[in-house]
Amino acid sequence: MALLRFEDPFSSVLALQQELERTLLNPAFSMGFSGYGAYPPINVFDEKEHAMIVAEVPGLDLKSFDISAQGHTLTIHSERKREEEGGDWMGYHRRERAFGEFSRSIQLPEEFEADKAEAKYGNGLLMIRVPRHEAAKPSQITVQAASEEARRK
Amino acid sequence: MTPQELVKKEKQQVQTKGQEKTRPGVYYMPEVDIGEAGDSLKLWADMPGVSDKDLSVTLENNILTIEGMVSTSMYEGLSPRYTEYNVGNYFRQFTLNETIDAGRIKASLRNGVLELDLPKVKKARPRKIEVRPAQGK
Repeated sequence: MALLRFEDPFSSVLALQQELERTLLNPAFSMGFSGYGAYPPINVFDEKEHAMIVAEVPGLDLKSFDISAQGHTLTIHSERKREEEGGDWMGYHRRERAFGEFSRSIQLPEEFEADKAEAKYGNGLLMIRVPRHEAAKPSQITVQAASEEARRK
Repeated sequence: MTPQELVKKEKQQVQTKGQEKTRPGVYYMPEVDIGEAGDSLKLWADMPGVSDKDLSVTLENNILTIEGMVSTSMYEGLSPRYTEYNVGNYFRQFTLNETIDAGRIKASLRNGVLELDLPKVKKARPRKIEVRPAQGK
């Protein structure tokens, strides 16, 4: 008897991790973007008519974002500030989180229209959707009969 | 201590040491700041991608456990084209030396940052002892 599965394995975090890892290790996918090692790290996903750029930037103020587009370059600028510690603060036991100003430019492939990008911020994730140029969008091609004979069939 | 600069850091995977989760998948250690105020411990943890319904904070036998599950629904129908970081759930535990009043713990999650206020039990708080002049002088 087969083992019961309570969940579709391809909807889980594991499936996403495997897919991201496969992409991380495949150099052919990284064409068109650059800047590995910069802050914040980004993941870029493909949709039919858009590209979606996702960055993990927790603890930012929505108002602190300054995102601009010039040509095919998107620039994200913001500042991450430390929370208020309170009046009777006695000191840190651990300090692992980083703060400060950052700026990152992302070079988009020609097929995207950087100036039409839309950005959203929630749960510490910055999501930027960039539409493809009309000409670069996939379009459906209908097959037509080549001759009278094929049409009659 | 100098503040840390914003640079890309590789996420630290949780070492399971024989204790495995029932659900497969990688767990990462959220980065934390822990400090002490007069009458409570404060903790901040960076857990981007976690919403409040997928977060659990427990305190049992002085062990504080923080666990956050990342939702992958936003990635449905998308295929990765270029990636720099991996996505995973979060898990971290701390042994607390102080005695914490579990009933008064406050937790809030804002923009992917968990903030915990762990009030010390009254007797564990530092108490200033007033020195009074001796009687009869």
